Amino acid sequence: MPTFESIQRPERWAVPFSREMTDADVDRLLTIEPFASVDPTRFRGTVTLRGILKNDTRLVRYRPGDIVVRQGDWGNSAFLVVTGNVHVELGSAANLPNEILGRQPVRRKSLFQIIAQLWANSADPEVRDVAAYRDDPRIGTRGSGEQTRIYLQDVSTVLSKYQTAKLEAGQFFGESAALGRTPRSATVFAERPTELLEIRWQGLRDLMRRDDALQKHIDAVFRDRALKWFLMNTPIFQHLDAEEINVLVTEAKFETHGQYDWVGSFKRLAKQGIDTDLQHEPLIAEEGNHTNGVIIVRSGLARLSRRYEHGHRTIGYLTPGQIFGMDEIIDGWLGKTPKPLANSLRAIGIANVVTIPTHLIEKLLLEKSDRRHLTRRGGPKTDPLASRAKIDTTRINSDFVEFLVENRYVNGTATMLIDMDRCTRCDDCVRACASTHDNNPRFLRNGPIQNNIMVAHACMHCEDPVCMIECPTGAIHRDLEGGQVVINDQTCIGCSVCANNCPYNAIRMVEIRHRDGDFIRDDKKHAPIVKATKCDLCSDQIGGPACQSACPHDALIRMDMRDVQQLTDWYTR
Amino acid sequence: MNTFAARRIRNLGIVAVAAILLIWFSGVMTTALRDTARASGWGLFAMICFLAAYSLRKKLPFLPLGASSRWLQLHIYVGLLTAVVFGIHIGWRVPNGLVELLLATLYGFVFVSGVVGLFLSRSLARRLTTRGEEVLFERIPIYRKRLEAKVESIVFEGLEASQSTAVAQFYADRLRHFFSQNRNFWQHLVHSNRSRFALLKEMQAYGLYLNDPEREMMTRLVTCVEAKDDLDYQFSLQATLKYWLFLHVPLTYALLVIALLHLLLVTAFAGGIS
Ligand code: HEM
Repeated sequence: MPTFESIQRPERWAVPFSREMTDADVDRLLTIEPFASVDPTRFRGTVTLRGILKNDTRLVRYRPGDIVVRQGDWGNSAFLVVTGNVHVELGSAANLPNEILGRQPVRRKSLFQIIAQLWANSADPEVRDVAAYRDDPRIGTRGSGEQTRIYLQDVSTVLSKYQTAKLEAGQFFGESAALGRTPRSATVFAERPTELLEIRWQGLRDLMRRDDALQKHIDAVFRDRALKWFLMNTPIFQHLDAEEINVLVTEAKFETHGQYDWVGSFKRLAKQGIDTDLQHEPLIAEEGNHTNGVIIVRSGLARLSRRYEHGHRTIGYLTPGQIFGMDEIIDGWLGKTPKPLANSLRAIGIANVVTIPTHLIEKLLLEKSDRRHLTRRGGPKTDPLASRAKIDTTRINSDFVEFLVENRYVNGTATMLIDMDRCTRCDDCVRACASTHDNNPRFLRNGPIQNNIMVAHACMHCEDPVCMIECPTGAIHRDLEGGQVVINDQTCIGCSVCANNCPYNAIRMVEIRHRDGDFIRDDKKHAPIVKATKCDLCSDQIGGPACQSACPHDALIRMDMRDVQQLTDWYTR
Repeated sequence: MNTFAARRIRNLGIVAVAAILLIWFSGVMTTALRDTARASGWGLFAMICFLAAYSLRKKLPFLPLGASSRWLQLHIYVGLLTAVVFGIHIGWRVPNGLVELLLATLYGFVFVSGVVGLFLSRSLARRLTTRGEEVLFERIPIYRKRLEAKVESIVFEGLEASQSTAVAQFYADRLRHFFSQNRNFWQHLVHSNRSRFALLKEMQAYGLYLNDPEREMMTRLVTCVEAKDDLDYQFSLQATLKYWLFLHVPLTYALLVIALLHLLLVTAFAGGIS
């Protein structure tokens, strides 16, 4: 009897990126660059080059004008041009207007429209004006289901009017956003019929590990564009000159900890409740060890914890832009002996971190700082070191911090917190929400309660908006001005991907109706049309979030969890 | 410090200072034989209009009229200050005209209901978090019905299984009434556990006369009784938090109507030199 050698398949390949990738496709890819010159012997064990191409990539065809990614979109994949070409919008003179990208610019209502809500709100739920879906000639949509694409209707005009760069066969794009889990930095569209290879993040990472040229290329592009921009915008480095920034850029170390797709495992873990041994969270730096640099979170979230009896007590969390290990470096530098880390740092879900080596911190920051300000926080506001953001939550009850972190509510930039000790259950918040949303309240005044604080089921406008990943038309997007996550009702195709991806169940799919109360149906199957709905933070109103301003008792707040100081002040009122 | 306690002390301080200044000033004016009734009357009317306008603010949440919590803070402290202006206006005596007496009584009720309501808002909200699960008020009847159905099914199952009517009898005598409606409204409001305790004690005592399967049924019923009592607690507190405004607000409208009447009368019959 023949024996078959069985190998364990990597788990992520249980669900390939696309079921349509054939062996013939893979054979073809292996003949083109960069894959033709990749050394297959570098791939050992379960992760083979063939396997990556078969399971972590998909071939996608675009027609002229099709938009591949939009600036500000969230995506987990990079692209390689196989045939044809695409254009990257450079945005140096002017950006492509939101309208033609299928985004609704947040338009504030006029005072009259605001007042008209008194009488013009609909009696039936989820009423829409069908004409609005037909009328906008600027938005072109084609394809169906999850293959729906927004396209530019007049590519040649766009090309002549806006500055773009052409990318041709063999060139990559989108890798920085995919690897760094940051928004796409530019809009890309196809000029001609184009075939792209879309590579999901995990595949790209494995390819980079085994192919030096690719690693070098992506590393160089990443450092030059994304990392430089990030460091220049990190407050503690803002006073450095271009040359010093360049030194940081070359010496910085960049790492990803955790899982890109953390939502699935999070939903499983959430059922098990709080687990203080924190074994499930990847360690970035460990308490008691000596630090070799300052760690800055570039994207994602991280937990600060300290050993406590037989577990770990959470004492804070870090959001993008916040730093870890600075106190120890300062103490070590002042005392001339290195200090071990006082806390551990772990990735919550996923965290991309940048490490700046200690010697650079000493040379570029500490040596130039006033020693008196270094010994204690709270020096002048102009001193970037003294005024760095507070990250420890020691004044907040630790159970509550544990709860916020464990359930990842710290992901929110507008998490709805309700102090149940003050809430009289009057529902003024719900009524205010309804009257500002055509009588459809966009949140539920219930949710888990810890330490008498309820985290209500309302969109938190996450720092790491997993709902935005995979939206086929980019209908759910972050408003580039206000930062809130909003849905363009016009381009939403009702596919539910965002609602299924949201770890907090904050998106609701609804069937929409005509003014007379009848469901709006599609002209082919006559099934009711479904749209995704959620809190939009009242972005079209002039008074800010109506729920918060309607609360008579200072019970409800939309909390930006990145601001630990605000959270502490609110909690200890 | 931005604590509620600090805010309360500051605002009460401001109201106290304003009250002293007003009393002093009206004293000076009276000694100078000047008429303070007109000024204090109009002042009081303006203050009451402002207090009543809070209702409008609540109905127009989409207008940028400022946060409701700001309004409420002003409402409370201006509301408290009206007592002093009211006192000055009536010369700290019970008025004798019919309309005036009615007006003063209405004002008194509105004022007292406001103070009581504020006390309830602050104290009951806090107490709601101490017992029972957080429930939406509108859903309480549904949960109660569910509990009632559960209890009935326990009892009926028991009837078949144990071939005895002991538990069913107890249910008919003592529990059916309890589960059929929200009960012990006032007791819950004053935080009394008397009825709950008595019923549970009674169930325990009754257990002495039951066999094992019946006792097990009783244990399951005890859990239901506790859940229902917690639900009653939530109902009683949440209903009070909602319904005290049904006194405060209609009385406010009545107060405004009578105040207008009073205004009409005093201006119509005002004599003196024009
Ligand atoms: C004396 C004249 C007063 C008038 C005319 C008045 C009128 C009103 C009105 C019209 C509302 C709005 C209710 C709604 O529409 O839902 C209200 C609410 C309220 N008033 Fe007064 N009020 C007065 C005095 C007071 C005083 C002295 C206090 C407390 C010290 C007070 C405490 C409150 C509170 C706590 C609310 C409810 C806030 C909420 O939970 O929604 N009021 N009042």
